[in-house]
Amino acid sequence: MSNLRTVITAAAFGLVAMQAQATVAPQDLVNPITDYKLYVLDNLEQFSSHTREFTDAIKAGDLQRAQQLYAPTRVYYERIEPIAELFADLDASIDARDDDYEHGVQDPTFTGFHRLEYGLFHEHSTAGLGDYAERLMSDVETLEQSVQDLTFPPEKVVGGAAALMEEVAATKVSGEEDRYSHTDLWDFQGNLDGSKKIFELVKPLAAQEDPAFVARIEENFTAIEHTLAHYYLIEGDASSGYASYDKVSERDRRALVGPVTVLAEELSTLRGLLGLN
Amino acid sequence: MSDHDDLSPGCPFSGLNRRRFLQGLGAAGIGAAATALSGGALASQQPRTADVTDAPSSSATHQSHPFYGVQQQGITTPRPAVGMLASFDVLATDQAGLERLLRTLTERIAFLTQGGTYEQRDPRYPPVDSGILGPSIDPDGLTITLSVGASLFDDRFGLDAVKPRHLQRMVAFSNDALDADRCHGDISLQFCANTEGTTIHALRDIIKNTPGMLMLRWKQEGTVPVMAPRSDGSTESARNYLGFRDGTANPPADNSGLMQKVVWVDHSNQEPEWARNGSYQAVRIIRNFVERWDRTPLQEQEAIFGRRRDSGAPMHGGIEHDLPVYDNDPDGKVTPLDSHIRLANPRTRGSERNLILRRPFNYSNGVEANGQLDMGLLFIAYQADLEAGFITVQKRLDGEPLEEYIKPVGGGYFFTLPGVQAGDYLGSSMLAASQRHS
Repeated sequence: MSNLRTVITAAAFGLVAMQAQATVAPQDLVNPITDYKLYVLDNLEQFSSHTREFTDAIKAGDLQRAQQLYAPTRVYYERIEPIAELFADLDASIDARDDDYEHGVQDPTFTGFHRLEYGLFHEHSTAGLGDYAERLMSDVETLEQSVQDLTFPPEKVVGGAAALMEEVAATKVSGEEDRYSHTDLWDFQGNLDGSKKIFELVKPLAAQEDPAFVARIEENFTAIEHTLAHYYLIEGDASSGYASYDKVSERDRRALVGPVTVLAEELSTLRGLLGLN
Repeated sequence: MSDHDDLSPGCPFSGLNRRRFLQGLGAAGIGAAATALSGGALASQQPRTADVTDAPSSSATHQSHPFYGVQQQGITTPRPAVGMLASFDVLATDQAGLERLLRTLTERIAFLTQGGTYEQRDPRYPPVDSGILGPSIDPDGLTITLSVGASLFDDRFGLDAVKPRHLQRMVAFSNDALDADRCHGDISLQFCANTEGTTIHALRDIIKNTPGMLMLRWKQEGTVPVMAPRSDGSTESARNYLGFRDGTANPPADNSGLMQKVVWVDHSNQEPEWARNGSYQAVRIIRNFVERWDRTPLQEQEAIFGRRRDSGAPMHGGIEHDLPVYDNDPDGKVTPLDSHIRLANPRTRGSERNLILRRPFNYSNGVEANGQLDMGLLFIAYQADLEAGFITVQKRLDGEPLEEYIKPVGGGYFFTLPGVQAGDYLGSSMLAASQRHS
């Protein structure tokens, strides 16, 4: 039904035939979306428990431990940003950066990870961070609860693959995201994981439509991972974490920007390819 | 004009009016509109006056410059009102990738400078074009000039053996305060057009079509003040943001013999064969301290430049295009020896070797931390020999009194590739030459 409708609509508007042959039916997306929700909930659960450890360390005044936990905790959030961003208020209180506020770090409404990052990595102290830690923990719990009750809109999920690469292109390759801790590569990997997960879930559908597209996406994901691997703290061990972003060479920055831009551009067509409105 | 074509003669309101009228009744539907029309309810309505948000009109949007040719456009082509210099890093990692990039750029420039209609896409996809000029674009006098920096000839693309002789990374002169974020680049694209919408559209088209191949490094936009045509047909040079005419002494671009000497690389330049009909492009972002300048006595301003401000004439009088004469002024009593124009072009025997073709734009970027204006000159000059041209001239200018009021902060040296014929791509002769060397 929907296939026929697609073709007819396209023909009526005189559109480019090549891109209007989506054979993906809405029900084909049911399983990928369900799997994706499980992925998000799993990440949220881990995000919540890591945030608890992180905020407990701050409240206990353990600066070193809090610094260590900062980046590994954020990764879970960075993976599921397309969903988290559906809750704009929570996203702002959890993950806004100081330049989102006219008065920067002095702004009383500036809360969340990056406010804590400023204290931990710029002021090198947990002093005065207790309230921010409490607030973060409670925001994360609210988020977890809210997502459980959420019906995942397919276009948001599929569009999320590109949105995550836009995140990387906008703030990670420049090192703006984690300006005090320089842990941008962790976030980079988190966004990449999240984008790749969405792509993997719909890959069989995308491959039916355009196998060359799938090959290009995979090639560029691989290229990024290859470059990121230069910065594992322990060679060959992705779980060891990442070197500081200021260690990234100019050549590697270029090597990241290319495939990130290609992925942002290519993945922006994923919704169209799968016939989503 | 086509708005009027579908109306019978004597219709009391224009096609544009009727279209608006029908659009306004969108909810009521065509039936209601027809009723209103047949009732003649609007026959007494006055012709519509322009709306605040109507697009400004221009009769020059159809103007175009041929893209294919022995040399690229945008060098000896008359300078239009708007310019932009965008510098990029090439992200391709090998010569095959570079070739893909050059082919894509050639194809985009050929389209953008001649105009045309974009392909329509299924609306569930992102559109192929930004749409800022509508689904069809006019050339609007657009030229896009492709040049390459010295860094393109490093170890990435196997081009080191075919580098133009004088191509080098720009080194700071004594008065420079170069900002690394606004210097150099693998590739420069100079955009010139009648309006800014056209240059910005072209830049966005190129960025959209080169993901993974190019990364924008810096850009600087500029303008030239527009003047009304003079009744006697004579022309004058535009003014810079210091109020002085800029380019008065430019060699005339319609003198092709002179252009061959001054601008275009030929057999006499001992350059690689592939570089013939190319040119060296020197770009400088030169901030002007305009508040301070505006507080400087006029006679001092004129002594610094070596020209009269209002007329542009030499210090000894006459009109703008009268040649300055220094023979009878060896001590600089009339035109100071350290004035800008006398240092830049002393008009001595042999100094014609140092001629350059200037193509500058004025820029205005914003406000400095001290509350002063960040504005100045986007200096662009072309020459067949970078050493004999810009570098020699700038060395002569080192220490000039004008330095008190200017600060070069960015730019770079590039080599403008030879032109291209249909079916070929910009830079093909350079890549072919490198393959013969390897």
